[in-house]
Amino acid sequence: MKPAATAHPHNPWLAHSVRITRTAPATPGVFTCDLTFDDAAVRKEYSYRPGQFNMLYLPGLGEIAISISGDPDLRDVVSHTIREAGNVTNALAQLPTDSSIGMRGPFGSHWPVEDCVGRDVVLVAGGIGLAPLRPVVCHLLTHRDAFKDVTLIVGSREPSGLLYSAEYEDWRAGGIDVQVTVDRADSLWHGKIGMVTNVLDRIPLRDAKHTILMTCGPEVMMWYTVQMALGRGLSAESLYVSLERNMNCAIGLCGHCQFGPEFLCKDGPIFCYDQVASILKIDDL
Amino acid sequence: MTSDSDSLLKLIAETRFAEDMSIGQLECLSRVSRLCMLSPGTILFREGDIEDNVFVISTGHIRLSMNVPGRGGVPFLTTGPGELVGWSGLLGDGRMTATATVTEETTLIAMSGQKLRDLCSSEQDLGYVLLKRVAQVLSQRLLSTRLQLLDLFAECRT
Amino acid sequence: MSLPVLFIARSELDQLIRTLADDGYQVVGPTIDQEAIVYGDIASAEDLPVGWTDIQEPGKYRLERRNDEACFGYVVGPHSWKKYLFPPVTLVASADRTKTGWQMSTPEAEPPRYAFLGVRACELAAMKIQDKVFLGGPFVDPTYQRRRSAAFIIAVNCTQAAATCFCTSMNTGPRCNAGFDLALTEIADGFLMEIGSEAGQALAARLTTAPATSEQLDRGTSARQQAVDQITKQMDTTGIRDLLMNNLRHPQWEDVANRCLSCTNCTMVCPTCFCSSVNEVPDLTGDHIDRERSWDSCFNIDFSYMNGSPTRNSIQSRYRQWMTHKLATWQDQFGSSGCVGCGRCITWCPVGIDLTQEVAAIRSSPSISPATEQVAGKSLEETES
Repeated sequence: MKPAATAHPHNPWLAHSVRITRTAPATPGVFTCDLTFDDAAVRKEYSYRPGQFNMLYLPGLGEIAISISGDPDLRDVVSHTIREAGNVTNALAQLPTDSSIGMRGPFGSHWPVEDCVGRDVVLVAGGIGLAPLRPVVCHLLTHRDAFKDVTLIVGSREPSGLLYSAEYEDWRAGGIDVQVTVDRADSLWHGKIGMVTNVLDRIPLRDAKHTILMTCGPEVMMWYTVQMALGRGLSAESLYVSLERNMNCAIGLCGHCQFGPEFLCKDGPIFCYDQVASILKIDDL
Repeated sequence: MTSDSDSLLKLIAETRFAEDMSIGQLECLSRVSRLCMLSPGTILFREGDIEDNVFVISTGHIRLSMNVPGRGGVPFLTTGPGELVGWSGLLGDGRMTATATVTEETTLIAMSGQKLRDLCSSEQDLGYVLLKRVAQVLSQRLLSTRLQLLDLFAECRT
Repeated sequence: MSLPVLFIARSELDQLIRTLADDGYQVVGPTIDQEAIVYGDIASAEDLPVGWTDIQEPGKYRLERRNDEACFGYVVGPHSWKKYLFPPVTLVASADRTKTGWQMSTPEAEPPRYAFLGVRACELAAMKIQDKVFLGGPFVDPTYQRRRSAAFIIAVNCTQAAATCFCTSMNTGPRCNAGFDLALTEIADGFLMEIGSEAGQALAARLTTAPATSEQLDRGTSARQQAVDQITKQMDTTGIRDLLMNNLRHPQWEDVANRCLSCTNCTMVCPTCFCSSVNEVPDLTGDHIDRERSWDSCFNIDFSYMNGSPTRNSIQSRYRQWMTHKLATWQDQFGSSGCVGCGRCITWCPVGIDLTQEVAAIRSSPSISPATEQVAGKSLEETES
């Protein structure tokens, strides 16, 4: 018999050991968890593009796919904003600093930040959809002069759900027009009330045809955002959405995340609108 | 006087509301309109009151709310430049279905609902364009309302 | 390889099996268990379903005695070779709690080296398709890779066809052309043997063989022709990808949904279906966790979900997913159809759904355009009068 072979070096099932450096509440039911690799060599090697996700692993409970929400240029710590929604996320929310978990990644397609150079950029985020767009915001701020007008429209159910609200002033100071709107509020709220599409309807567009728009949030919100953008003269190949389904393997082999012909874990989650336009409105696809 | 009415005409022409209207139609509108400048906190109209005016926002920001006993004034929408408020004056019985509160320095084009209705009967071309525009505004408002109703961000709550 | 075709006597089959076993292969092949021909361990030719054949129809499978002692006188049963290459349950990773935290690892043990005895042409095609899935993408599955590269393949050319076979429509058979180490065609007193690889040639050299006579070759040809002649089922695959993707709202989906039980049989027996789930299996201490991958099925209601609720909440949407994936979107993903025409899904469907007929139904009726949804069969004028 041949001797046992060592594990394949690039075995896509192998999770790395990581440690929680910080867990902090973000908004009701949402927390941010910062992780760092135990192995210094892995930490040095690891990098990701805005929009990609990791599989966070709690042995005994399972894995979940979470978009990376940090600054891609700061690589020692990998940041994830997570909604408490099930066994794994609820347990992760309770783990103290320095707890050990596993991580595989990064996986998936990314936001086309390289295509934004020299163009006006509009970001439309709804609810926790701002988390996968935050790396784009960081990138745009770091390289601000490379882009023209940058607008970020943030929507939430109510004021308490606005993610990263403490950073908005810094983002404005960095040259991003941050416009905030909520679905519902009490009379103490003096800002905008209404869907993100209302705000998108009113922002000035110098050159709609060459404006690039990226949106992330509930699928219905993204759909109407895209329709509004098309109505305002943006072109379908400049619109990007982030789709979501449950993921199990993250490597395109288990079939769970399929949406039409696309495996959301490897063909997505970020798609150009014109690639998915024909399947987005087929019910129960 | 002339320069006032010229500037009113210009302001109307600049709004998205007046897109696709001819000069003649804009002049008709300006004859039944006047400009209002309002400061934050001003209540433009109250829910339930009869209000003849129909307002197009030139600049500024207005919050719409409805009063629910026990919850007080519940704001449900804010609108801005180019938007219409008080459309009941044109289409309905003039009884307002919301309270409108100014939240920033706001310039409004106020049009007399009665005179607009008369215009629509006598100048049917203008009437068609006006009502088409109102229908577009309202359909967009309806879609927004539906999206708010779907409570799409509800999963954000534990 | 254009090596001459050999002939081995029927009795030599045992020698073939023994030689492979002595070389460390686990020989697996067709054998009877619970009144079906399934794949299991083969120690000698006696373990094969000698003198048996299968009668297959939509929703029906029976074994019957033949009037001869043929070793391979049947087609395919509920098992496929994915049972060995993509095992129903397999370990993909582990986690151990150590003083410094969780340490993850992947399995190091070598898998068994299989010799597959009796692989049909449709199954060779299915393996080629699964090779594309598991080995051809940006991530390679290590389990499949190790087992596949170690496998020795003895193909068998079909000499008959079942009523549910339609490999000719999918261009996958019944002739085995490539992808094997050896290929056998059963004739009265033995087997024609074609060499398909160097490994096959090396093994053949250790058996008692003789060059096939032209009379033997002719008998082989007519035996294989019998398989072609017996195929009655057809599927018209012209433009099938667009046909299905342009008819996602066709009323036929509701029709089939009224019959489909969403039982997952079709996905279990299909030789190309690859859906799976990984689950945590802790030991009693909770300090050692195995990550086990098991077969899953898109027919399971919670296979696809969002925010905790199923996204395909109806049998209609799940059947549509399975069929459009198998016949249409598989082409976008992997460059070929996902179907090899083996007919298993038709035989093993408890209600006898036949996907070739579902395709034909969609093809034959006018497509329903979403923009002008008409009352089925009537124009607007007729309904108004």
